[in-house]
Amino acid sequence: MAVLDHPAENVSPPVAQRAPSWATTLDHKQIGILYIITSLIFMAVGGLEALIIRAQLWVPDSHLVGPDMFNQLFTMHGTTMVFFVVMPMLFGFGNYLIPLMIGARDMAFPRLNAFSYWMFAFGGTLTYLSFLAGGAPNVGWFAYAPLTEYAFSRDHSTDYWILGLMVSGIGTTATAVNLVTTILVMRAPGMSLARVPLFVWMMMFDGVLLIFALPPFTAAAIMLLLDRGLGAHFFDTQAGGSALLWQHLFWFFGHPEVYIMALPAFGIISEVVPVFSRKVIFGYESVAAATVVIGVISMGVWAHHMFTVGMSDALDAIFSGASFLIAVPTGIKMFNWIATIYGGKIRMQSPMLFAVGFLAMFLIGGLTGIMLAAVPIDWQVSDSYFVVGHFHYVLFGGSLFAIMAAYYFWFPKMTGRLLSERLARWHFWLMLAGFNLTFFPMHIAGLLGMPRRIYTYSADRGWTIWNQLSTVGAMLLAVSFLFFFWNLFVSWRRGESSGDDPWDAWTLEWATTSPPAHYNFEEIPIVRSRRPLWDLKHPEDPDWEHE
Amino acid sequence: MNSSEATMAEHGANRETIRMPIETASPLVVSLGITLLCAGCVTNWALSGLGAALLIGGLARWISQLLPGRGEEEHAWVPIDQRARAIERVDVAIESRPRGFIARMQVPAQVHPYSTGVRGGIVGGAAMAIVALAYGLVSGRGIWYPVNLLAAMLLPSMSEMTGAELEQFDATALVLGLVIHTIVSATSGLFYGILLPTLPRYPVLWGGVIAPLLWTGAIYGFMGVLNPVMNSRVDWPWFIASQVVYGATAGLVVVRSKKVPLRPV
Repeated sequence: MAVLDHPAENVSPPVAQRAPSWATTLDHKQIGILYIITSLIFMAVGGLEALIIRAQLWVPDSHLVGPDMFNQLFTMHGTTMVFFVVMPMLFGFGNYLIPLMIGARDMAFPRLNAFSYWMFAFGGTLTYLSFLAGGAPNVGWFAYAPLTEYAFSRDHSTDYWILGLMVSGIGTTATAVNLVTTILVMRAPGMSLARVPLFVWMMMFDGVLLIFALPPFTAAAIMLLLDRGLGAHFFDTQAGGSALLWQHLFWFFGHPEVYIMALPAFGIISEVVPVFSRKVIFGYESVAAATVVIGVISMGVWAHHMFTVGMSDALDAIFSGASFLIAVPTGIKMFNWIATIYGGKIRMQSPMLFAVGFLAMFLIGGLTGIMLAAVPIDWQVSDSYFVVGHFHYVLFGGSLFAIMAAYYFWFPKMTGRLLSERLARWHFWLMLAGFNLTFFPMHIAGLLGMPRRIYTYSADRGWTIWNQLSTVGAMLLAVSFLFFFWNLFVSWRRGESSGDDPWDAWTLEWATTSPPAHYNFEEIPIVRSRRPLWDLKHPEDPDWEHE
Repeated sequence: MNSSEATMAEHGANRETIRMPIETASPLVVSLGITLLCAGCVTNWALSGLGAALLIGGLARWISQLLPGRGEEEHAWVPIDQRARAIERVDVAIESRPRGFIARMQVPAQVHPYSTGVRGGIVGGAAMAIVALAYGLVSGRGIWYPVNLLAAMLLPSMSEMTGAELEQFDATALVLGLVIHTIVSATSGLFYGILLPTLPRYPVLWGGVIAPLLWTGAIYGFMGVLNPVMNSRVDWPWFIASQVVYGATAGLVVVRSKKVPLRPV
């Protein structure tokens, strides 16, 4: 096997070497690590909120927390996980990896990159400061009007929600612009768009989606702020405003947001699966094309969140059809990944374990998504725990499993050390068991009629056992993350040295040291195929002869 | 390698320093300024004032660093013994396997064109429609009945229709039914085209019998969710027959097409 035989211990990890300069850094790698660490902190907080929610629902008629605190908890849990965990974590990996993958020295706009990170960090902090200012937001992560109007939400908690998300949203938009520009203009010689790694493809379209989807949400947030602070009536139904307008604007952002979180996860899987199957990705072009198709269709499905608000049959049918349709390109990707695994020399190491976990969990989430795209069934289960189970299978089973694969895959690149495989396996199996035990029973509770967002329930409903299973699963999940955090800590301190290319991988980030120098590459690499490292390691059988 | 690529590689190889942006707190200060500006709206306007001051100061510093020669500095490369070494070949894995295209793909070397799958799906869909219409005539419910049942998947209002109403012509249902039928048929055909060459022997058996029975089983389980109206009214023997006819027809179209070499990656 070909290796980069540079001894990793010769290079101090930037974490230790450059600690004082974190606040002023413009290095995309440090900024990527900042994103990742900050989002991990938010993940711990959001996870704690989820545990309290599950503890509250452990028994009927529980009074562990009151209804108002419960509202704050589920609002902050949803807001945190979407805006301050999954998205920034993916941006962290994108920031770290994209310049390396395309053979660039940095992002196109390094200062804007740092600005984006700080906006995210301060936006999240501002949202959480509400806890100190009388109470956290309690209107759900969707903040439906007119519940969010001043008449129904008289304290400042909703203002904190709006302002915090606006601040972090500015950073997110800047990141999107930076990502797209970097990928379009800073690729190494020879790296055409048809040769960039699929993770880069996905991040590019992620940026495009963000640029289209986020501004309407920001506009809606400003309109809501005007309603609340200056007496405008955009969403005030008592004064001629429209509550549905909020829903349209919010979900015009909110549904593409699902794919904004899913596309980079697809990209991660598209990098991990081929390397650990020892095969070229099956159907590179179709995976890339499916990304574009998903991006386009995802902008036209938002109203499937609104089947129950009383739209016309024709609108219901159009959005239902579009929602069904999006399963096609997503299915194409699933087939591509499975075809890549099929017949491969599979190495079931931790990144691959999580990738396979992703495939199974995301498939279940996708299937229940197809069910929800059918208007009649949506009418039956809308706003029930069925929906809660579904979207957790998509976002946790999809995005977070893929993100975990990314941690195990690229941690050696970031630190020069391998994560412990033994702890990783504990993490994976506990997470898989805990995840399914938490979220699968929610489907059944939902079908039995349990509405989402209720803070307690009576014993005669038949929901107790399903809630208790979910709570036990949540505890298991928490334990699994303890293994993960412990693994990150001990492996970073004294993990086994990884060398520069521990997985015998094929993309450019593995061509430099682990961790890379500030400027990434002494020489800008010249690319002739989609697997430049394969070409270097196997000059007798290079890929470019086959492309 | 073209001339610009060569120049770039040569340029990189001959230098021991590189210009990189200098570290700066400007982005941090600007973002803190914006955040305080916003936070002041819900706490104290003095905070907004502080935020505005930070924003202006930070922006001024940021802009000044964009002037020529101000925002970059020379960085020395890391010592030579700490750089990534040239990638060396220690070839073990590759020698133990056959070289070339098949080894790297491990999928059939020849496949049916994707377009054949779509074509097979559409032809199969037409054959299936004939069976469905025949059912309408034989059962005495008329040819619009199966079309309306299919459209009920997307038209919630049809869930409240009586059997007699479902036998009537409905233009919206016809259009929707056609769209659903065409898309599903073509998409399933595409999967046929992709999958059939990977299945062991007897593709018509797989495509015409086994696959339709498998997906009919799946549909049987999901029908109540996907299309409650059809679920309550479907005639299962006819339904299975139509699926088998679809599978056999689409499979035949696919397997009779000429295979083409899979494009190498």
